[in-house]
Amino acid sequence: MSACGPWRPRRSEAGRPAAWAGPRLSVREILLYPDRRLKQVASPAQASEFDAIAVDLIETMRSFGHCVGIAAPQLGLMSRVVVVDVSGHPKAETSSGLLVLANPRIAERDGSKVGREGCLSLPDVTANVRRATRVVVEHAAGRVECEGFEARCVQHELDHLDGILFLDRVESLTDDVFRRRSYAPGPEGQSPTERGASAPRSKSRGSAASDPERTG
Amino acid sequence: MSEFAVTAIGRDRPGIVAAVSGVLLALGGNIEDSRMAILRGHFAVMLIVELPAEASRGRLEAELEGVRERLGLEAVSVSEVERLEVGGNGASHVLTVYGADHPGIVHGVATVLADRGVNVTDLETRVTGGAEPVYVMVMEVALGELAADELSSALREAAEGLEVDVSLRPLEAEAL
Repeated sequence: MSACGPWRPRRSEAGRPAAWAGPRLSVREILLYPDRRLKQVASPAQASEFDAIAVDLIETMRSFGHCVGIAAPQLGLMSRVVVVDVSGHPKAETSSGLLVLANPRIAERDGSKVGREGCLSLPDVTANVRRATRVVVEHAAGRVECEGFEARCVQHELDHLDGILFLDRVESLTDDVFRRRSYAPGPEGQSPTERGASAPRSKSRGSAASDPERTG
Repeated sequence: MSEFAVTAIGRDRPGIVAAVSGVLLALGGNIEDSRMAILRGHFAVMLIVELPAEASRGRLEAELEGVRERLGLEAVSVSEVERLEVGGNGASHVLTVYGADHPGIVHGVATVLADRGVNVTDLETRVTGGAEPVYVMVMEVALGELAADELSSALREAAEGLEVDVSLRPLEAEAL
């Protein structure tokens, strides 16, 4: 999830992700809301299409550098397939490595924690979303248990298969809703954190520490 | 003691809160409640302030007018208000509305709520950048006796006409 970061600046003028370096035809464009496909329920994936979709998802995820998850509907592929890979992400206490989940279903969920999420398909907006802290996912190739950050990513991606965006899961209008926005410098060019007038909220703006969880 | 509603708005710059609160403090006032935020580059101040009986409204207005001139604020207003008993605001649900930006989204949704006696207790909106801006509105609402299912279906119907997506969820009750 989160580590996709602000993805648009990574793209070159040609519209290719910056990481695109050759004829990797599997890298696809990410659909942006309000594309209606992002609000539709995806169909069960057929075994014959697993591999092709997985390659597209993995290549596209990798093209965004630190992206840790993406769901097939975000590429306009209305099949129930997601990929998640939180390995190496600083927030991931545990990692199952690269997960390719076809026809996934959450079989168990425990705990709950609020975390900040964003989405490649809905740039510029973040919100606090409550997710289970541990999930067990059954999928076409088996069963996997995820915790913490990885569990959050998996739940975010699985929501995409049902046309659910993180905004649909906002549970309170906290101060953190909407706060990840890039602020233009003030009249004197001062950084946002120097603006006493808008403290205390401004204190966290623009700081690396305030970057939200960002996922496909 | 008397209570006043004070509002101010001006192009954002450092020192607005300090100047406004300085005036209030000098008059012996106490800020009872406040909300301040940058709206599209303009810093907006809304507050309820309690002033001792001897402080004159005329002096409050004059001092704030001085602040307005000094900081180049766009507007300042002072209104005496009735002191109200404060309880919970009754907020029971969070309503998220988002869609391609166009005029009428707020009104369309708010009308559905108003027609059913649903009170809006908090509301924030924003518009994303990009080639196709998305309007996002998150509200907290108090349903009262109204069933959530009933409101949901009315909202879904309105959302279709407005070409937006809506989600109504119970308000997170857990303190974090």
